[in-house]
Amino acid sequence: MNHETILLEYIKQELLRGRKSDLKVEDDLLSNGIIDSLGILQLVAFIEERFHIQVPDEDVVFENFQSVKVLSDYLAKF
Amino acid sequence: MAKRLLYFNGLAILGVMLFHGTGWGFVAMFSWAARYQGATAVPFSQMGSPAYYALRAIEQLVAATIPAFLFVSGYFAAFAAGRSGMIAWRVVWGRVKKFLPPYFFWGVIALVMLAIQGIIFTPWRYLVSFLTGDMTPAYYYVPLIIQFYAISPFLAPLAKHHWRLLLLAAVLVQLAVQVAQMGVIMRWDMPAVFGFIAAWPKWFFPVRILWFVLGMVVGFHLSSFKEVLTRWRWALLALALLLLPSGILEWEWLLQQSGQPWVDHRETVLDSVYAVALIFAFLGFDQARLPGVKLISDLGSKAFGIYLAHIPVMEVVARGTYHVTPGLLAYQLPFAVLVALVSLVIPLLLMNFIDLLPPIRRYYNYVFG
Repeated sequence: MNHETILLEYIKQELLRGRKSDLKVEDDLLSNGIIDSLGILQLVAFIEERFHIQVPDEDVVFENFQSVKVLSDYLAKF
Repeated sequence: MAKRLLYFNGLAILGVMLFHGTGWGFVAMFSWAARYQGATAVPFSQMGSPAYYALRAIEQLVAATIPAFLFVSGYFAAFAAGRSGMIAWRVVWGRVKKFLPPYFFWGVIALVMLAIQGIIFTPWRYLVSFLTGDMTPAYYYVPLIIQFYAISPFLAPLAKHHWRLLLLAAVLVQLAVQVAQMGVIMRWDMPAVFGFIAAWPKWFFPVRILWFVLGMVVGFHLSSFKEVLTRWRWALLALALLLLPSGILEWEWLLQQSGQPWVDHRETVLDSVYAVALIFAFLGFDQARLPGVKLISDLGSKAFGIYLAHIPVMEVVARGTYHVTPGLLAYQLPFAVLVALVSLVIPLLLMNFIDLLPPIRRYYNYVFG
């Protein structure tokens, strides 16, 4: 599975708990209230555990977490 | 550093449980003393007992919990602003609308519990209750945090570009509030404006503005703060440890000067310095290994739901003890810890129960946020 699919599944199942099954990779995660501040931190913890990477503090910024697609593009750099 | 904030939030919710548990400990110590001492119980006779100081020590230790929550929220308001430093109104609304369903759900439960005790309000009073969160002593936090998110689009550019000025203004506002409140306790002859400020309720945002602003400022200027906090981490920890007993002594002195047998604890200037030192020390020890990371971070992610759900549970547990096992009330420290523990475990069980049942799982966020 690629990053997008894994992240999309995690957000749908763990953060949204099946509430928004039509979530798309381009959807704005914060502006649409899909995930909140603590959700971002949970997402970071999941990424580090699942993909075995360390996300530097400096990279935990809105611009890298705006959507699943943007986040996947960021993760592709590792 | 940023990633540790989930853990920090977990510590904060544990602190809240202990703070409210000690509150019930004091109720058992004073208001319910007749239940285990008999009709001859002397009011406030246990003031100054070892149990009293043990409860005060816990209360003081966890005095930084609400500042910690607000700091984390401020930090993420800065996150939501991104590099542009602007927070879109739809981000604010997206955040606020997540608070409302759980707040309404647990608010109704709290009001039903009051009605069972015979406390029934007028429709207008119910509306006021929801606007101020006064249906319980703890729900003021929700209107408070909503106000902070509502003003965050105005604070963000200041926190990004004029952070020293903003921080100074926030310090002065909070200082004025705390001095005014202290003046009321001490019955100082103060200018009318201080009397007005002292009357500000705890749900009104200027009362706690420093913490949210501090979180935003650190969020926008993380790398600068990181360097300084790492360098000064031991001094910050030492300051926090020094202020812990100082805060206890300060409150005892205030109580003595007030001439009253009891004053509900409120944040003082020393408490604020303690909270700053503790928050900064935690951030400064960025590389330190922490115990129970997974467990406490998990609590941190559920903090809002636990915060709302534990209040009615705590009330039932404490009042249940009063009726069923009043003898336990004589041991206020174990009682306070027990009340805190049970009131943490029951909401967690409820959360897991809903989370594991597919037909109702989708409603989890409406109940616990």
